[in-house]
Amino acid sequence: MAEMRVLTAELQPEAGAALKKALGMTAADVVFEVRESGMKGRGGAGFPTGIKWNLAGAASGADKMVICNADEGEPGTFKDRLLLEKYSMQLLEGMTIAGYAIGSSKGIIYLRAEYPYLVPAIMKARQDLIDRKLMGHFILGGNFTFDVEVRLGAGAYVCGEETSLIESLEGKRGEPRNKPPFPVNSGYLGRPTIVNNVETFVNVPHIILNGSDWYRGLGIGENTGTKLFSVSGDVEKPGVYELQMGSTIGELLDLAGAEDVQAVQVGGASGITITAGELERTLSFDDLPPGGSVIVFDRSRDMMDVLENFLEFFVHESCGQCTPCREGNVRLLDVTRSIRDGRIASREELKDFFMLAEIMKLGSKCGLGQTSPNCFVDIVTKLAELPGGKGGI
Amino acid sequence: MSRNPVDIVTSAMEKYGSGREAIMQMLTDVNRELGYIPEEAIRAIAAAVGVSNAEIYSVLSFYSFFSTEPRGRNIVRLCNTISCRMAGAGDILAAIEDELGIRAGETTPDDRVTLETTSCIGLCDQGPAMLVNDTPHTRLTPDEARRIIAGLQ
Repeated sequence: MAEMRVLTAELQPEAGAALKKALGMTAADVVFEVRESGMKGRGGAGFPTGIKWNLAGAASGADKMVICNADEGEPGTFKDRLLLEKYSMQLLEGMTIAGYAIGSSKGIIYLRAEYPYLVPAIMKARQDLIDRKLMGHFILGGNFTFDVEVRLGAGAYVCGEETSLIESLEGKRGEPRNKPPFPVNSGYLGRPTIVNNVETFVNVPHIILNGSDWYRGLGIGENTGTKLFSVSGDVEKPGVYELQMGSTIGELLDLAGAEDVQAVQVGGASGITITAGELERTLSFDDLPPGGSVIVFDRSRDMMDVLENFLEFFVHESCGQCTPCREGNVRLLDVTRSIRDGRIASREELKDFFMLAEIMKLGSKCGLGQTSPNCFVDIVTKLAELPGGKGGI
Repeated sequence: MSRNPVDIVTSAMEKYGSGREAIMQMLTDVNRELGYIPEEAIRAIAAAVGVSNAEIYSVLSFYSFFSTEPRGRNIVRLCNTISCRMAGAGDILAAIEDELGIRAGETTPDDRVTLETTSCIGLCDQGPAMLVNDTPHTRLTPDEARRIIAGLQ
């Protein structure tokens, strides 16, 4: 397992080659190929893409929708920015293939408000594809029609959650919906809808062109394909790296050049905090969340300041709908400051807060409240200076 | 001279229709053109879409890029998340606050600049980073930040 550039390879397949091949297959065969590839959603939640497409394709309802989640807001993540800047042709081709596969003629890219400067590149790619009859009406002279529009978000992290994103597109507060119904049955305006991450769509032309067997040859076991990682923090060469799924965090840090590592935050603020002793762990859906964000902290950093920063983020970004998330993050932030300032008298005092963290995981509707206590639990148990020594609650 | 809020909503309605799903685009257009969303615009959008004024207010108050208060001609959003912080965003904030004579969250008395700190803007590999209106500025130094801020009209 190591660096392996497919999505970010210098030489990309000719635009439209994968779409031409897909249009020569039945829609069901396209879905089958994606399903057989074993690709799981690249946004981080890891739902198998082919299964999602199959459900949406089979759902009854007119005007099915293909939505691209370009609301990349997880702290430390910027891989979709790179894809939108340089590979928007592949993104749009992937969305078009998805439209053919599920029987949809309309796509929307929900682009985060912080990326308005990427709109021209996306619109130029769209126009190029239309000029080459690879998008728009009667694609390649056949009966299939598909087009996309870009809609801007307005600065809300929770809109990266797919049902919040749909609410936002419908002109509402971006509060997560109750599931079921799932978007594949009732999504945007009640229509069957797939929501996939930018990177997921960018994978699609490669899977169609090279086949699912080739794709399964990348990665490890059920964790197929390559994965982009955004590396920042205390490294020599911050940036986006593409590795086979199942590579170790140590392999990734070797590429980026990390020294004197104290801790690594994998999967963003909502992810997992590991220490220097855990660098053999793998980036895969079975171990460290491969959502994409990797932030490195060397030994000069005070991890309680890091934790405070993450919790301030969650306090700001909680939509407020679920009480455990709205109030819980505030309480975790308070106690984090107490720990940092040495105002905790005994470890006993912290027990209630670990229970609170469990309640937040169980009692919050969406991924935000379910994952925001992770950093608290990890950093306090592994790295905090507590009465009687470091960590070890 | 900026357009009347009602005219902005009217042209937004021509572009996006008057379905509920046009609300975000209408709000975005008003917010971009005026820097904020005045009450006349809220009323005009509510009337166009056929929902209450309170409903429009409820939506816009959810999103951090929308404002109901007038803001400066330029909006500076400095990333405050951990990678930019580690790269020195605290020094950049201090330099900009000193240059403008205001604190984060405030607008200069001449309405030239509103300064905000913001959650991650996806430029973590090039921090410290900020957005000035729609334009990203990366790998800032305090001097560079002062120069950019001083150049804003």
